[in-house]
Amino acid sequence: MTEETIIYPARKVITMNPAFPEGQAVAVRGDRVLGVGTVDELAGWGDHTIDDRFADKVILPGFIEAHTHVMAGGVWQFPYVGFFDRRDPDGKLWQGSTSIDEVVDRLIEQESMMGDPSEPLIAWGLDPIYMPGERLVAKHLDRVSTDRPIFVYHASGHLGTVNTAMLERSEITEHNQTPGVVKDPDGQPNGELQEPAAMMLATSAFERLVVAIGSQEAKWGYANEAKNTGQTLITDLGTTRVNDPSQVEAWREVTEDPTYPARVMLAGSSMFGGEQDPDKLAAIVNDLKQEQSPKLRFGIIKIVLDGSIQGFTARVSWPYYFNPPEGHPGNGLWLVPPDQVADIVTAHHKAGLTVHAHCNGDQTAQVFIDAVETALERHPRWDHRHTVQHCQLTTPAQYRQMAALGMNANIFSNHIYYWGDQHRDFTVGPERAARMDACATALREGVKFSIHSDSPITPMGHLHTAWCAVNRLTATGEVLGPDERIDVQDALEAITINAAYQLKLDHDMGSIEAGKLADFAILEDDPLAVEPAALKDIGVWGTVVGGVAHQAGTSN
Amino acid sequence: MALPIKQVRATEVGDLISVTIVGGYLGAGKTTLVNHILANADQRVAVMVNDFGEVNIDADLIRSRDGDTISLANGCICCSMVDGFGAALQTITEAPVRPERLVIEASGVGYPGQIAGYAHTPGLKLDGVVVVVDAETIRANLRSEYIGDVVRQQCVEADLIVLNKVDLVANPDAVEKAVRKVADVSVVQARSAHIPLGVLIGLDRSGLEPSGAPRSAQDRFRTWMQEFPDPVDRLSFLADLGSASDVLRAKGTVRFSEDPNTFFDVHVVGKRVTLTQSDRPWPTPRLVYIGLRTT
Ligand SMILES: [Zn+2]
Ligand SMILES: [Zn+2]
Repeated sequence: MTEETIIYPARKVITMNPAFPEGQAVAVRGDRVLGVGTVDELAGWGDHTIDDRFADKVILPGFIEAHTHVMAGGVWQFPYVGFFDRRDPDGKLWQGSTSIDEVVDRLIEQESMMGDPSEPLIAWGLDPIYMPGERLVAKHLDRVSTDRPIFVYHASGHLGTVNTAMLERSEITEHNQTPGVVKDPDGQPNGELQEPAAMMLATSAFERLVVAIGSQEAKWGYANEAKNTGQTLITDLGTTRVNDPSQVEAWREVTEDPTYPARVMLAGSSMFGGEQDPDKLAAIVNDLKQEQSPKLRFGIIKIVLDGSIQGFTARVSWPYYFNPPEGHPGNGLWLVPPDQVADIVTAHHKAGLTVHAHCNGDQTAQVFIDAVETALERHPRWDHRHTVQHCQLTTPAQYRQMAALGMNANIFSNHIYYWGDQHRDFTVGPERAARMDACATALREGVKFSIHSDSPITPMGHLHTAWCAVNRLTATGEVLGPDERIDVQDALEAITINAAYQLKLDHDMGSIEAGKLADFAILEDDPLAVEPAALKDIGVWGTVVGGVAHQAGTSN
Repeated sequence: MALPIKQVRATEVGDLISVTIVGGYLGAGKTTLVNHILANADQRVAVMVNDFGEVNIDADLIRSRDGDTISLANGCICCSMVDGFGAALQTITEAPVRPERLVIEASGVGYPGQIAGYAHTPGLKLDGVVVVVDAETIRANLRSEYIGDVVRQQCVEADLIVLNKVDLVANPDAVEKAVRKVADVSVVQARSAHIPLGVLIGLDRSGLEPSGAPRSAQDRFRTWMQEFPDPVDRLSFLADLGSASDVLRAKGTVRFSEDPNTFFDVHVVGKRVTLTQSDRPWPTPRLVYIGLRTT
């Protein structure tokens, strides 16, 4: 044995291995776990070093986030103007901006730090849904600057608001007929640009956003946010084009750096210019799987079938939306014709891959579940683990069908906190809101599930997603659907071993057991002992990835 | 989360490119229609498709292929939107030889009216929205829980509906009636999406010259011309156009009695009438029509 054995005594090791649920220490050799037990028991492995740095910490398996996007790291190259407090990848806490005045003040402060006055100021995260009353428009942003063009990207990704300087630079005038250029009663553009056709008029801002999202800094920011909140494996669900060798190479470059603090799984996808032909895409992913490395993984396919519930663009079943905005067409958008889904799923299914389908609405979930059933009829195959992603309005009957077909769910539990009030009052109404993101139903019906943040849509951090699943508190502090709450133990399984299972990594990750990778979340407190309401407030020291410790950025 | 797309601008000042949106649900025949346009165009037409996968371009016609763009010997280009709408649009507006017309294929579940918004990008102008409907499946599709609302909305957003595959149904007129119940829109019946290009994407400028006799003498369609030597009353002119059920398209120039010294270009697709102040009026104001031959 050339590799050193290190024993980490801890306040407690929670293994998520039901056959050996906890220990007082964990021994690591190289990048793997040698064993869990007492220090004395582990000393039986021979020569070792005792490393006391986690002696007062609680060690869990590294959290596994099966639904995030790398742009989570890119957006932080711009100032944040969202409603909720949010921590950036460096650990700095950005106070939420809860009114137009606070947004403007934040931007004034940022503007004062910028040089070249022609360089646009870009900010992100604005969500007007939380700021009832007056809407942020150009005249507010003009208080920040009348010279420097400003672009504020909304949290939804569907809207942008610009100042007069940006309107002028982009030649957006009262004559502009592009739909989505919102105008005030006297016909002048008011600064709000809705949907890409209008947003793309603000070229200078867009080009910078695209560059930021594809940058290496974005990849580092993405992994740093994972490290700060306890994730050791994060999944970029369809943002990277795996058919573009230069993009995959850029990932190899960062993940091969020993200091890069996370493992990343890249999903194959036809979005954003990915390979359109499902058979070819599957072949590309299978090739990449052959060449995967310890911190860069492949094997899953992401497809997107509908929009979002809060944007009223998810496909929901009768009785459709509860209180939609005026002019709403009645139901959401399909992003793929429903009649095509079975063929796409079959192509990947036949190739041995796992399909992860974004389905926010229940109508969408049904189309996907039926497509999996068709794929299974055409090509029987065991252990596919096809997963309904978001799975927000999935019904009990659908969960039963999923269980019968061997499917998984990845439930968007953070929605309960961030948009639960809106779902109850506007999107689907009280009853369906109470059964949204139904972790207890999944459990009862025997569907293995994980939970997720969809970062950057909501902040990455599995103690928060678990807290949501356990407490189901909305932003205004109300419990939404108490009967769908689950135990802390079940929530911890969702963010560790079950998430690993969903990604077919459970042989190697998701629990602390002899032989598995030494991937840990290092916590300041015991999630099984604290009040469930305090789950999200447990401090995270950092992570260990393949035996290498990565300390969380310090907060200030 | 939506990725931003780059803005596109026309690079040279000149004629605006006229944009036709082709919509319709999966399987209706949009791709057949696109193939038909590419093979038969006698104008420089650029086509933006979702994916080359199904576009079937005769190898003899292909002059060159460069990534997402195929150039044809007849001057047409076909560009895939795989790298995003903005990138494809940029390729086309920056092509060495600018196309005269642009046809954009909407996705099978897309709303073509929304895409029409892009036709207001500088350098472009909207021609109209053509929606292809499958005569065999349209009635079932309209009843579908999953796509009924989508197909209905696509029809409503059309200026012109191509009721395709009528050879596969027993009673095309009954199907046409069902479609008209959904949308008060001009409907043209077709097999294999075979419709004269003048009807689909409009006549070019030469087609408006009196000598440029009807190009599409195919049995079901006719073109005719009407001269307006004197200014006309705007309201009754528009009312006449709106009630002319046999007119699928019209194009030309008129003057209105309220302002007899100003010439207006008239552009009609189905029931959509666009009037714009003309900078190059014909000496004698006139309209050229394309319509169905009434029997
Ligand atoms: Zn999604
Ligand atoms: Zn997502």
